[in-house]
Amino acid sequence: MLELAIGIILGCCALGAGCAMIAGIGPGIGEGNAVAKACEAIGRQPECKGSVTTTMLMGCAVAETTGLYALVIAILLIFVAPNSLVGILLRSIQ
Amino acid sequence: MKIQPAVKQETAWIAGGVMILTGIMVLVFVILGKFDYTVALGAVYGAAIAVLNFFLLGMTVQKAAEEMHGVQLPPEEEKEDAGSEGEAKNEAPENPHVREAKKKMQLSYYGRMLMTMVAAALALVLPIFHPIAALLPLLFPRIVIFIRGMIQGKKEA
Repeated sequence: MLELAIGIILGCCALGAGCAMIAGIGPGIGEGNAVAKACEAIGRQPECKGSVTTTMLMGCAVAETTGLYALVIAILLIFVAPNSLVGILLRSIQ
Repeated sequence: MKIQPAVKQETAWIAGGVMILTGIMVLVFVILGKFDYTVALGAVYGAAIAVLNFFLLGMTVQKAAEEMHGVQLPPEEEKEDAGSEGEAKNEAPENPHVREAKKKMQLSYYGRMLMTMVAAALALVLPIFHPIAALLPLLFPRIVIFIRGMIQGKKEA
């Protein structure tokens, strides 16, 4: 029974980490679209290259943080959550 | 490859901001009485990864911008009607240079994400790094951008 409970905890942590990483897909697509539009803007107005690059860089950095949040949650679920949850389970049994 | 001044300047801004925020984080650890060498190492490691990630993003953006060097696109036509017909007409086929830049950016994003994942996993596995001190600085660039935007907004006002 204990093994089953530990297995469920580990499985749910892995599933949760996988689900969290779904959020990592969106920023990649969004950044690609933003860069495509910025490149079009540079192609139309090459004199604005500097300001467009700066704005694009800031936008991409902000978009990327969403993916990083997901990454941090996923990594915590994989490396930290199983130990602490199994510890809580064992303490509650004793 | 020569680094554009815009990328250098922004990376310098982000590096400075991340260093300040990392210092504040270490100070909080000291106040809480949980400071040891793992916190210091973790903070330096996390801040370095955050700045490196931003710098690599800047390099990719620069490459994407340089992809358009010498490419002249026609000026955008003004939308006559904003209806669904007008939107459908506006969907012009993408320029091959633009498509290439888009692909490069997406590939770079997933590569950087993988690098950050490995770095974060190392920070959690290796006992010489404090996990929280190593992971928190990864989120600092956004805070720096937010604070900088606020400061610039106040200056403009």
